[in-house]
Amino acid sequence: MKNFRLRIADCGFAALAVLVFILTFAAPASAMLTAKANHDHITIDFFYHGSTVSVKGESDPGVDLVIKMTSPEGHQVLKQKGRVGGLLWMNVGQLKFENTPNFYAVYSTKKLDEMLSKEEQKKYIIGYPALAKHVEVTPVANEEEKTKWFDEFVKYKEESRVYASTFGKIETKMNAQGHQEYFILTDWPYQAAPGDYVVAVYAVKNGKVVERAESKVNVEQIGVVKTLATMAKNSAAFYGLLSIGIALGAGFGVGLVFRKGGGSH
Amino acid sequence: MYLYLPVALTSINILIPVGLGLAVGLLSGLFGVGGGFLMTPLLIMFGIPSTVAAATDSNQIVAASTSGTYAHWKVGNVDFKMGLYLLVGGFVGGIVGVQAIKVLQAMGNADFVIKMTYVFMLGIVGVYMFIESLQSMRNKKTATAAEEKEEKESAVGRFLKSLPLQTRFEKSGITHSVLVPIVLGGFVGVLAAIMGVGGGFLMVPIMVYILRMPMHVVVGTSLFQILFTCIEVTFLQAYTNHSVDFVLAVLLLLGSTIGAQAGAVMGRKLKAEQLKILLAGIVLVVTVKIIFELTLTPALLISQAGGH
Repeated sequence: MKNFRLRIADCGFAALAVLVFILTFAAPASAMLTAKANHDHITIDFFYHGSTVSVKGESDPGVDLVIKMTSPEGHQVLKQKGRVGGLLWMNVGQLKFENTPNFYAVYSTKKLDEMLSKEEQKKYIIGYPALAKHVEVTPVANEEEKTKWFDEFVKYKEESRVYASTFGKIETKMNAQGHQEYFILTDWPYQAAPGDYVVAVYAVKNGKVVERAESKVNVEQIGVVKTLATMAKNSAAFYGLLSIGIALGAGFGVGLVFRKGGGSH
Repeated sequence: MYLYLPVALTSINILIPVGLGLAVGLLSGLFGVGGGFLMTPLLIMFGIPSTVAAATDSNQIVAASTSGTYAHWKVGNVDFKMGLYLLVGGFVGGIVGVQAIKVLQAMGNADFVIKMTYVFMLGIVGVYMFIESLQSMRNKKTATAAEEKEEKESAVGRFLKSLPLQTRFEKSGITHSVLVPIVLGGFVGVLAAIMGVGGGFLMVPIMVYILRMPMHVVVGTSLFQILFTCIEVTFLQAYTNHSVDFVLAVLLLLGSTIGAQAGAVMGRKLKAEQLKILLAGIVLVVTVKIIFELTLTPALLISQAGGH
């Protein structure tokens, strides 16, 4: 079910609606799309449990919108489960995914296939089918196998909440200037790793992207979380010894407490 | 309350690791096992990446086994001499095991061999311990059976006595060639490295059935030996894989150090046969769980690389 409603009708001004209609068809790309992600700097401290990111802006009236949030592309190696001897499930090898973002979320005003042509989806890598074409998976024997493993990959990513593709969550309304305002509030999962994320907004008309605007979200560890994460990477030996030292200390400490507290043995 | 884990890059409700630590620490103090075969899969289930789960668990076991060794040492249940010989063997075995994995991986069927070794080892150990402790529980009632058992022991016993470098292990009240614990420790070390587990569930039955150590000394000595193994593993994991999550380890050890103390106290109240049959039960449950995992279609056919 589409829960998206064109708010034009809500305005109730028939005249305005006609105007919008005319404008929509008369001016294809008037470069008015804007995008602003609020809460664009997410900081991770000890008590971080995810956040929210909202994106808002203005567009030409009557256009459909796609909001795509992605992390930079990279390559990922994952274990592949398969059947051995027709009975036992176990890891049978590794799959390499190239040109793959760790984070990929697409929100659109309508179902992607109803608003955007396949060519355009592919060109702007919008939606899972387009991403599937963009990503390289090795080793796979044929296209069918690639699709199968890409689908499994998406399932795995959605499970850890770093991949999403939904429609209807973007709210739109007309403002006094006759522009379309849009707004979306998304949950930002704590599973999304620190780094820079691009928020791209596409205005879509007649199955084509007519405009693109961009904003950024930066996720960063701060304070003790950052110190520990940096230490684990850059001073690995010291970090290892510290971890062992604390564990030994805690073990002895609790032992002593119990001797003092219990005393019977 | 949720806390963010800087290396695992995820957030967790602190009650989960503290509770898991408490439960697994209890088993550790009770049976002399590290509990990695329970803890690592549970951590993965709660969203911790597999590499971080395995590495952080070994860090946590350092604390739990220190606490447990201390508790058992206070009542004189740690055979340090035996522990050291086992460690020497385990250390060498670990190096051999790591090389063996490389060979298996080069052959391309590492996972199959590892999983099968694991299931068979768990299965054999579990079934054997279960049957044996059940029998000795029954035999306790009929006094004559004890002598029969003595006879059975002598076959292996004669061979072990014929070896050179015999030495007395005062604490355990036994005499063995120093080669025996070194070779057995090495055997466990090889298997533990291949299976990616600490090997406590193998070491405990070996100490009970081959070395013929008293059950209560076995638990303390096993913990002592696990302590050193896990110090080594924690350091290597932190140094080479950067996969130890300090915050998660602290949360786990809050529970496990206390659990280990409680386990040690509880263990003193149980008879050796009762301890053995309980451990056998847990080992068998884990075996069945792994068999289910192997045969049921998994929800996800893709998982993170690394870890076990």
